[in-house]
Amino acid sequence: MSTPSRCMAAATRGLISPPAARAAHRTVASRTSNLVASSRKATGGNTACLRELQRIQNGNRKITSSSQGQTRTFSQSASRNKLKTIDQIRARNKGGPFNLTASILFVVAGAGMWAYFTYEKERMARKRIAEQTKGIGKPKVGGPFQLVDQDGVPFSNEDMLGKYSLVYFGFTHCPDICPDELDKMALMYDKVVEQCGKVLLPLMITCDPARDTPKVLKEYLSEFHPEFIGLTGHYDKIKETCKAYRVYFSTPSSVKPGEDYLVDHSIYFYLMDPEGDFVEAIGRNFTADQAAKVIADHIKDWEKPLKKETRWQ
Amino acid sequence: MGWLWGSGSIDDSGVKKTQGGAFESPSRSNRKQCYAARDAFFECLDKNNILDSINSKAGREKSASVCGQFDQEFEKNCAHSWVEYFKKQRVVNYQREQTIKRIESQGGEITAPQLPLPGQK
Repeated sequence: MSTPSRCMAAATRGLISPPAARAAHRTVASRTSNLVASSRKATGGNTACLRELQRIQNGNRKITSSSQGQTRTFSQSASRNKLKTIDQIRARNKGGPFNLTASILFVVAGAGMWAYFTYEKERMARKRIAEQTKGIGKPKVGGPFQLVDQDGVPFSNEDMLGKYSLVYFGFTHCPDICPDELDKMALMYDKVVEQCGKVLLPLMITCDPARDTPKVLKEYLSEFHPEFIGLTGHYDKIKETCKAYRVYFSTPSSVKPGEDYLVDHSIYFYLMDPEGDFVEAIGRNFTADQAAKVIADHIKDWEKPLKKETRWQ
Repeated sequence: MGWLWGSGSIDDSGVKKTQGGAFESPSRSNRKQCYAARDAFFECLDKNNILDSINSKAGREKSASVCGQFDQEFEKNCAHSWVEYFKKQRVVNYQREQTIKRIESQGGEITAPQLPLPGQK
Protein backbone atom coordinates (compact mmCIF):
# COMPACT_ATOMS: atom_id res chain seq x y z
CA MET A 1 0.00 0.00 0.00
CA SER A 2 3.02 2.17 0.45
CA THR A 3 3.82 2.34 -3.22
CA PRO A 4 0.53 3.66 -4.44
CA SER A 5 0.38 6.15 -1.60
CA ARG A 6 3.88 7.37 -2.45
CA CYS A 7 2.83 7.48 -6.00
CA MET A 8 -0.20 9.52 -4.98
CA ALA A 9 2.00 11.86 -3.05
CA ALA A 10 4.29 12.24 -6.04
CA ALA A 11 1.31 12.75 -8.29
CA THR A 12 -0.06 15.33 -5.93
CA ARG A 13 3.33 16.98 -5.75
CA GLY A 14 3.40 16.90 -9.53
CA LEU A 15 0.01 18.51 -9.57
CA ILE A 16 1.02 21.37 -7.36
CA SER A 17 4.60 21.59 -8.67
CA PRO A 18 5.53 25.05 -10.05
CA PRO A 19 5.44 24.15 -13.80
CA ALA A 20 2.01 22.52 -13.36
CA ALA A 21 0.77 25.43 -11.32
CA ARG A 22 2.04 27.86 -13.94
CA ALA A 23 0.15 25.85 -16.54
CA ALA A 24 -3.02 25.86 -14.51
CA HIS A 25 -4.80 27.87 -17.11
CA ARG A 26 -4.10 25.30 -19.75
CA THR A 27 -6.51 22.55 -20.65
CA VAL A 28 -7.14 19.63 -18.38
CA ALA A 29 -5.68 17.30 -20.97
CA SER A 30 -2.28 19.00 -20.96
CA ARG A 31 -2.38 19.07 -17.20
CA THR A 32 -2.84 15.29 -17.14
CA SER A 33 0.07 14.76 -19.53
CA ASN A 34 2.12 16.86 -17.15
CA LEU A 35 0.92 14.66 -14.39
CA VAL A 36 1.93 11.54 -16.28
CA ALA A 37 5.38 12.93 -16.93
CA SER A 38 5.98 13.92 -13.34
CA SER A 39 4.58 10.71 -11.90
CA ARG A 40 6.70 8.65 -14.27
CA LYS A 41 9.69 10.49 -12.98
CA ALA A 42 8.65 9.73 -9.46
CA THR A 43 7.73 6.07 -9.79
CA GLY A 44 10.10 4.91 -12.50
CA GLY A 45 7.46 2.88 -14.37
CA ASN A 46 5.71 1.23 -11.43
CA THR A 47 2.73 -0.60 -12.89
CA ALA A 48 0.54 -0.33 -9.86
CA CYS A 49 1.25 3.31 -9.80
CA LEU A 50 0.47 3.54 -13.51
CA ARG A 51 -2.86 1.90 -12.95
CA GLU A 52 -3.53 4.34 -10.20
CA LEU A 53 -2.53 7.13 -12.55
CA GLN A 54 -4.87 5.87 -15.20
CA ARG A 55 -7.63 5.92 -12.67
CA ILE A 56 -6.84 9.53 -11.91
CA GLN A 57 -6.62 10.28 -15.58
CA ASN A 58 -9.96 8.62 -16.14
CA GLY A 59 -11.39 10.66 -13.31
CA ASN A 60 -9.97 13.78 -14.93
CA ARG A 61 -11.40 12.78 -18.24
CA LYS A 62 -14.75 12.28 -16.59
CA ILE A 63 -14.55 15.80 -15.15
CA THR A 64 -13.54 17.12 -18.56
CA SER A 65 -16.34 15.39 -20.39
CA SER A 66 -18.89 16.31 -17.78
CA SER A 67 -17.85 19.93 -17.88
CA GLN A 68 -17.99 19.86 -21.66
CA GLY A 69 -21.39 18.23 -21.39
CA GLN A 70 -22.54 21.13 -19.29
CA THR A 71 -21.55 23.70 -21.88
CA ARG A 72 -23.15 21.61 -24.56
CA THR A 73 -26.51 21.48 -22.83
CA PHE A 74 -26.23 25.22 -22.38
CA SER A 75 -25.82 25.96 -26.07
CA GLN A 76 -27.80 23.07 -27.53
CA SER A 77 -30.87 23.01 -25.36
CA ALA A 78 -32.90 21.96 -28.39
CA SER A 79 -31.45 18.49 -28.18
CA ARG A 80 -33.88 17.83 -25.35
CA ASN A 81 -36.65 17.96 -27.97
CA LYS A 82 -35.06 15.23 -29.98
CA LEU A 83 -37.45 12.53 -31.01
CA LYS A 84 -36.82 9.47 -28.98
CA THR A 85 -39.06 6.72 -30.27
CA ILE A 86 -40.10 5.68 -33.74
CA ASP A 87 -43.69 6.53 -32.82
CA GLN A 88 -42.70 10.09 -32.12
CA ILE A 89 -40.97 10.35 -35.46
CA ARG A 90 -43.99 8.88 -37.20
CA ALA A 91 -46.28 11.31 -35.46
CA ARG A 92 -44.05 14.19 -36.52
CA ASN A 93 -43.84 13.08 -40.12
CA LYS A 94 -47.56 12.49 -40.41
CA GLY A 95 -48.28 16.21 -40.74
CA GLY A 96 -45.37 16.86 -43.05
CA PRO A 97 -43.53 20.17 -42.66
CA PHE A 98 -46.75 22.00 -41.67
CA ASN A 99 -47.43 22.69 -38.05
CA LEU A 100 -49.25 25.34 -36.06
CA THR A 101 -46.29 27.72 -35.79
CA ALA A 102 -45.63 27.59 -39.52
CA SER A 103 -49.24 28.23 -40.42
CA ILE A 104 -49.55 31.15 -37.97
CA LEU A 105 -46.36 32.68 -39.36
CA PHE A 106 -47.66 32.22 -42.89
CA VAL A 107 -51.00 33.87 -42.13
CA VAL A 108 -49.44 36.74 -40.18
CA ALA A 109 -46.86 37.43 -42.89
CA GLY A 110 -49.54 37.26 -45.58
CA ALA A 111 -51.84 39.63 -43.73
CA GLY A 112 -48.97 42.03 -43.10
CA MET A 113 -48.00 42.08 -46.77
CA TRP A 114 -51.61 42.54 -47.82
CA ALA A 115 -52.11 45.45 -45.38
CA TYR A 116 -48.88 47.10 -46.49
CA PHE A 117 -49.61 46.83 -50.20
CA THR A 118 -53.18 48.03 -49.76
CA TYR A 119 -51.94 51.02 -47.79
CA GLU A 120 -49.30 51.83 -50.37
CA LYS A 121 -51.78 51.49 -53.22
CA GLU A 122 -54.18 53.90 -51.53
CA ARG A 123 -51.39 56.32 -50.77
CA MET A 124 -50.22 56.32 -54.39
CA ALA A 125 -53.80 56.90 -55.57
CA ARG A 126 -54.11 59.88 -53.22
CA LYS A 127 -50.77 61.21 -54.37
CA ARG A 128 -51.88 60.99 -57.98
CA ILE A 129 -55.07 62.91 -57.15
CA ALA A 130 -53.20 65.53 -55.13
CA GLU A 131 -50.64 66.11 -57.85
CA GLN A 132 -53.10 66.21 -60.71
CA THR A 133 -53.38 69.99 -60.45
CA LYS A 134 -49.77 70.74 -59.57
CA GLY A 135 -47.32 72.02 -62.11
CA ILE A 136 -47.58 73.79 -65.40
CA GLY A 137 -50.26 72.97 -67.94
CA LYS A 138 -52.59 71.39 -65.44
CA PRO A 139 -56.20 72.51 -65.01
CA LYS A 140 -56.30 75.02 -62.23
CA VAL A 141 -58.93 75.20 -59.52
CA GLY A 142 -58.61 78.07 -57.08
CA GLY A 143 -56.42 81.11 -57.34
CA PRO A 144 -55.88 84.59 -55.99
CA PHE A 145 -58.73 86.47 -54.35
CA GLN A 146 -59.23 89.50 -52.14
CA LEU A 147 -62.19 89.25 -49.78
CA VAL A 148 -63.08 90.14 -46.18
CA ASP A 149 -63.90 87.76 -43.35
CA GLN A 150 -66.83 87.83 -40.95
CA ASP A 151 -65.04 90.40 -38.77
CA GLY A 152 -64.44 92.72 -41.69
CA VAL A 153 -60.72 91.86 -41.80
CA PRO A 154 -59.23 91.47 -45.29
CA PHE A 155 -58.64 87.85 -46.22
CA SER A 156 -56.81 86.78 -49.35
CA ASN A 157 -55.67 83.49 -50.81
CA GLU A 158 -52.31 84.09 -49.09
CA ASP A 159 -53.99 83.68 -45.72
CA MET A 160 -54.71 80.11 -46.72
CA LEU A 161 -51.03 79.19 -47.23
CA GLY A 162 -49.41 76.83 -44.75
CA LYS A 163 -52.60 74.99 -43.92
CA TYR A 164 -55.05 72.80 -45.72
CA SER A 165 -58.32 74.59 -46.50
CA LEU A 166 -61.80 73.26 -46.92
CA VAL A 167 -63.65 75.73 -49.12
CA TYR A 168 -67.41 75.77 -49.41
CA PHE A 169 -69.50 78.14 -51.49
CA GLY A 170 -72.95 78.97 -50.19
CA PHE A 171 -75.27 81.69 -48.99
CA THR A 172 -77.09 82.31 -45.74
CA HIS A 173 -80.57 82.39 -47.28
CA CYS A 174 -80.13 78.88 -48.58
CA PRO A 175 -83.22 76.78 -47.88
CA ASP A 176 -81.91 73.32 -47.10
CA ILE A 177 -78.78 72.10 -48.80
CA CYS A 178 -76.22 74.60 -47.50
CA PRO A 179 -77.27 74.34 -43.84
CA ASP A 180 -77.06 70.55 -44.06
CA GLU A 181 -73.70 70.73 -45.75
CA LEU A 182 -72.37 73.23 -43.23
CA ASP A 183 -73.48 70.97 -40.38
CA LYS A 184 -71.60 68.19 -42.10
CA MET A 185 -68.60 70.46 -42.57
CA ALA A 186 -68.57 71.15 -38.81
CA LEU A 187 -68.50 67.40 -38.13
CA MET A 188 -65.76 66.83 -40.71
CA TYR A 189 -63.71 69.69 -39.33
CA ASP A 190 -63.88 68.36 -35.76
CA LYS A 191 -62.94 64.87 -36.89
CA VAL A 192 -59.96 66.11 -38.89
CA VAL A 193 -58.75 68.38 -36.07
CA GLU A 194 -59.03 65.47 -33.67
CA GLN A 195 -56.74 63.39 -35.89
CA CYS A 196 -54.37 65.96 -37.34
CA GLY A 197 -54.51 69.09 -35.16
CA LYS A 198 -55.52 72.55 -36.26
CA VAL A 199 -54.09 72.38 -39.76
CA LEU A 200 -57.35 72.87 -41.64
CA LEU A 201 -59.09 76.17 -42.41
CA PRO A 202 -62.86 75.82 -42.76
CA LEU A 203 -63.92 78.54 -45.22
CA MET A 204 -67.38 79.45 -46.41
CA ILE A 205 -67.42 81.88 -49.32
CA THR A 206 -70.77 83.49 -49.97
CA CYS A 207 -72.26 83.62 -53.44
CA ASP A 208 -74.71 86.24 -52.28
CA PRO A 209 -72.62 89.25 -51.24
CA ALA A 210 -75.55 91.67 -51.43
CA ARG A 211 -77.25 90.09 -48.42
CA ASP A 212 -74.32 88.32 -46.77
CA THR A 213 -72.40 91.11 -45.10
CA PRO A 214 -69.67 90.21 -42.60
CA LYS A 215 -72.16 90.75 -39.76
CA VAL A 216 -74.76 88.43 -41.28
CA LEU A 217 -72.11 85.78 -41.98
CA LYS A 218 -70.74 85.99 -38.46
CA GLU A 219 -74.14 85.45 -36.90
CA TYR A 220 -74.99 82.68 -39.34
CA LEU A 221 -71.74 80.72 -39.10
CA SER A 222 -71.49 80.94 -35.32
CA GLU A 223 -74.46 78.55 -35.24
CA PHE A 224 -72.46 75.95 -37.11
CA HIS A 225 -68.93 76.12 -35.73
CA PRO A 226 -67.00 78.83 -33.88
CA GLU A 227 -63.94 78.21 -36.08
CA PHE A 228 -65.70 78.71 -39.41
CA ILE A 229 -64.47 81.64 -41.46
CA GLY A 230 -67.01 83.37 -43.66
CA LEU A 231 -65.78 85.35 -46.64
CA THR A 232 -67.61 88.04 -48.53
CA GLY A 233 -66.76 91.07 -50.65
CA HIS A 234 -67.93 93.15 -53.57
CA TYR A 235 -69.97 91.38 -56.18
CA ASP A 236 -67.09 91.54 -58.69
CA LYS A 237 -64.61 90.08 -56.21
CA ILE A 238 -66.98 87.24 -55.40
CA LYS A 239 -67.53 86.64 -59.09
CA GLU A 240 -63.76 86.45 -59.68
CA THR A 241 -63.35 84.03 -56.81
CA CYS A 242 -66.16 81.81 -58.03
CA LYS A 243 -64.64 81.84 -61.48
CA ALA A 244 -61.25 80.82 -60.11
CA TYR A 245 -62.84 77.91 -58.27
CA ARG A 246 -64.95 76.97 -61.30
CA VAL A 247 -68.07 77.56 -59.25
CA TYR A 248 -71.30 78.29 -61.03
CA PHE A 249 -73.63 80.73 -59.30
CA SER A 250 -76.72 82.62 -60.33
CA THR A 251 -76.82 85.66 -58.09
CA PRO A 252 -78.22 88.75 -59.79
CA SER A 253 -75.67 91.58 -59.77
CA SER A 254 -78.08 94.23 -58.53
CA VAL A 255 -80.77 93.44 -56.01
CA LYS A 256 -83.02 95.69 -53.97
CA PRO A 257 -82.58 95.62 -50.19
CA GLY A 258 -84.86 93.04 -48.60
CA GLU A 259 -85.55 91.34 -51.90
CA ASP A 260 -86.39 87.67 -51.65
CA TYR A 261 -84.51 85.40 -54.01
CA LEU A 262 -82.55 82.18 -54.08
CA VAL A 263 -79.10 81.51 -55.48
CA ASP A 264 -78.17 78.48 -57.49
CA HIS A 265 -74.61 77.40 -56.95
CA SER A 266 -72.25 74.43 -57.11
CA ILE A 267 -72.21 72.43 -53.90
CA TYR A 268 -68.81 70.85 -53.61
CA PHE A 269 -66.27 71.14 -50.85
CA TYR A 270 -62.89 72.05 -52.27
CA LEU A 271 -59.85 70.70 -50.45
CA MET A 272 -56.86 72.97 -51.03
CA ASP A 273 -53.32 72.08 -49.97
CA PRO A 274 -50.95 74.35 -47.97
CA GLU A 275 -49.50 75.71 -51.21
CA GLY A 276 -52.92 76.83 -52.41
CA ASP A 277 -53.31 74.05 -54.97
CA PHE A 278 -56.52 72.16 -55.40
CA VAL A 279 -56.40 68.59 -54.09
CA GLU A 280 -59.81 67.04 -54.31
CA ALA A 281 -63.50 67.89 -54.43
CA ILE A 282 -65.84 66.34 -51.91
CA GLY A 283 -69.41 65.84 -53.01
CA ARG A 284 -72.72 65.81 -51.26
CA ASN A 285 -72.82 62.03 -51.34
CA PHE A 286 -69.91 61.83 -48.86
CA THR A 287 -70.77 61.30 -45.22
CA ALA A 288 -68.90 63.37 -42.66
CA ASP A 289 -66.80 60.31 -41.79
CA GLN A 290 -65.88 59.56 -45.38
CA ALA A 291 -65.01 63.18 -46.05
CA ALA A 292 -62.97 63.46 -42.86
CA LYS A 293 -61.04 60.35 -43.86
CA VAL A 294 -60.25 61.76 -47.30
CA ILE A 295 -59.03 65.03 -45.79
CA ALA A 296 -57.08 63.46 -42.94
CA ASP A 297 -55.37 61.01 -45.30
CA HIS A 298 -54.21 63.84 -47.55
CA ILE A 299 -52.97 65.83 -44.56
CA LYS A 300 -51.02 62.81 -43.28
CA ASP A 301 -49.44 62.40 -46.73
CA TRP A 302 -48.16 65.98 -46.64
CA GLU A 303 -44.44 65.97 -46.00
CA LYS A 304 -43.69 69.68 -46.02
CA PRO A 305 -44.25 71.90 -42.95
CA LEU A 306 -47.74 72.82 -41.79
CA LYS A 307 -48.76 75.91 -39.83
CA LYS A 308 -50.38 74.90 -36.60
CA GLU A 309 -51.12 78.33 -35.18
CA THR A 310 -54.10 80.38 -36.25
CA ARG A 311 -53.52 83.53 -38.23
CA TRP A 312 -54.50 85.80 -35.34
CA GLN A 313 -51.83 84.51 -33.01
CA MET B 1 -106.57 94.72 -47.36
CA GLY B 2 -107.94 95.59 -43.95
CA TRP B 3 -108.60 92.02 -42.95
CA LEU B 4 -105.12 91.08 -44.09
CA TRP B 5 -103.53 93.55 -41.75
CA GLY B 6 -105.93 92.38 -39.09
CA SER B 7 -104.61 88.88 -39.36
CA GLY B 8 -101.16 90.42 -39.55
CA SER B 9 -101.28 91.13 -35.84
CA ILE B 10 -101.63 87.38 -35.21
CA ASP B 11 -98.85 86.82 -37.74
CA ASP B 12 -96.26 87.77 -35.14
CA SER B 13 -96.08 84.06 -34.37
CA GLY B 14 -94.29 83.60 -37.69
CA VAL B 15 -90.67 84.42 -38.40
CA LYS B 16 -89.46 87.99 -38.91
CA LYS B 17 -89.26 88.86 -42.55
CA THR B 18 -88.16 91.72 -44.72
CA GLN B 19 -90.59 93.71 -46.83
CA GLY B 20 -89.57 91.63 -49.82
CA GLY B 21 -90.61 88.44 -48.03
CA ALA B 22 -87.12 87.15 -47.22
CA PHE B 23 -85.95 86.07 -43.79
CA GLU B 24 -84.55 88.85 -41.71
CA SER B 25 -82.14 86.29 -40.33
CA PRO B 26 -82.05 82.71 -41.64
CA SER B 27 -81.02 81.35 -38.24
CA ARG B 28 -81.24 77.75 -37.13
CA SER B 29 -84.41 78.35 -35.12
CA ASN B 30 -86.07 80.13 -38.05
CA ARG B 31 -85.16 77.31 -40.37
CA LYS B 32 -86.54 74.79 -37.93
CA GLN B 33 -89.81 76.70 -37.70
CA CYS B 34 -90.04 76.86 -41.48
CA TYR B 35 -89.31 73.14 -41.93
CA ALA B 36 -92.02 72.27 -39.38
CA ALA B 37 -94.60 74.39 -41.23
CA ARG B 38 -93.54 72.83 -44.53
CA ASP B 39 -93.86 69.29 -43.17
CA ALA B 40 -97.34 70.05 -41.81
CA PHE B 41 -98.45 71.42 -45.16
CA PHE B 42 -97.01 68.48 -47.08
CA GLU B 43 -98.65 66.04 -44.69
CA CYS B 44 -101.98 67.64 -45.49
CA LEU B 45 -101.24 67.35 -49.20
CA ASP B 46 -100.30 63.69 -48.78
CA LYS B 47 -103.54 62.96 -46.92
CA ASN B 48 -105.56 64.54 -49.71
CA ASN B 49 -103.50 62.95 -52.42
CA ILE B 50 -102.27 66.22 -53.87
CA LEU B 51 -98.81 66.28 -55.40
CA ASP B 52 -98.53 69.63 -57.09
CA SER B 53 -99.53 72.76 -55.21
CA ILE B 54 -97.74 75.32 -57.36
CA ASN B 55 -97.20 74.48 -61.01
CA SER B 56 -100.79 74.07 -62.25
CA LYS B 57 -103.83 76.23 -61.61
CA ALA B 58 -105.86 73.19 -60.61
CA GLY B 59 -103.23 72.14 -58.11
CA ARG B 60 -103.03 75.60 -56.58
CA GLU B 61 -106.78 75.82 -56.21
CA LYS B 62 -107.20 72.36 -54.78
CA SER B 63 -104.39 72.76 -52.23
CA ALA B 64 -105.74 76.17 -51.24
CA SER B 65 -109.25 74.81 -50.65
CA VAL B 66 -108.16 71.68 -48.78
CA CYS B 67 -104.92 72.72 -47.04
CA GLY B 68 -105.28 76.50 -47.15
CA GLN B 69 -104.67 76.94 -43.47
CA PHE B 70 -101.44 74.95 -43.54
CA ASP B 71 -100.37 76.86 -46.63
CA GLN B 72 -100.80 80.16 -44.83
CA GLU B 73 -98.75 78.89 -41.88
CA PHE B 74 -96.13 77.73 -44.35
CA GLU B 75 -95.93 81.19 -45.96
CA LYS B 76 -95.87 82.84 -42.56
CA ASN B 77 -92.93 80.81 -41.28
CA CYS B 78 -90.79 80.70 -44.40
CA ALA B 79 -89.36 83.16 -46.87
CA HIS B 80 -91.60 83.25 -49.93
CA SER B 81 -88.75 82.05 -52.13
CA TRP B 82 -88.34 79.05 -49.82
CA VAL B 83 -92.05 78.21 -50.05
CA GLU B 84 -91.84 78.17 -53.84
CA TYR B 85 -88.62 76.18 -53.72
CA PHE B 86 -90.03 73.51 -51.42
CA LYS B 87 -93.29 73.19 -53.33
CA LYS B 88 -91.44 72.70 -56.60
CA GLN B 89 -88.93 70.37 -54.94
CA ARG B 90 -91.82 68.16 -53.77
CA VAL B 91 -92.92 67.62 -57.36
CA VAL B 92 -89.38 67.08 -58.64
CA ASN B 93 -88.54 64.60 -55.87
CA TYR B 94 -91.69 62.61 -56.57
CA GLN B 95 -90.99 62.48 -60.29
CA ARG B 96 -87.43 61.42 -59.68
CA GLU B 97 -88.52 58.60 -57.39
CA GLN B 98 -91.03 57.44 -59.98
CA THR B 99 -88.44 57.50 -62.73
CA ILE B 100 -85.99 55.49 -60.64
CA LYS B 101 -88.73 52.97 -59.77
CA ARG B 102 -89.73 52.65 -63.41
CA ILE B 103 -86.18 52.08 -64.59
CA GLU B 104 -85.49 49.58 -61.82
CA SER B 105 -88.72 47.69 -62.54
CA GLN B 106 -87.54 47.36 -66.14
CA GLY B 107 -84.40 45.75 -64.85
CA GLY B 108 -82.14 48.74 -65.43
CA GLU B 109 -79.77 50.25 -62.93
CA ILE B 110 -79.54 53.93 -62.26
CA THR B 111 -76.74 55.82 -60.61
CA ALA B 112 -76.68 59.57 -60.43
CA PRO B 113 -73.45 61.14 -61.61
CA GLN B 114 -71.50 61.96 -58.47
CA LEU B 115 -67.97 62.04 -57.14
CA PRO B 116 -66.57 58.63 -56.30
CA LEU B 117 -66.44 57.87 -52.60
CA PRO B 118 -63.13 56.84 -50.99
CA GLY B 119 -62.40 53.24 -51.91
CA GLN B 120 -64.53 53.43 -55.10
CA LYS B 121 -63.03 53.57 -58.51
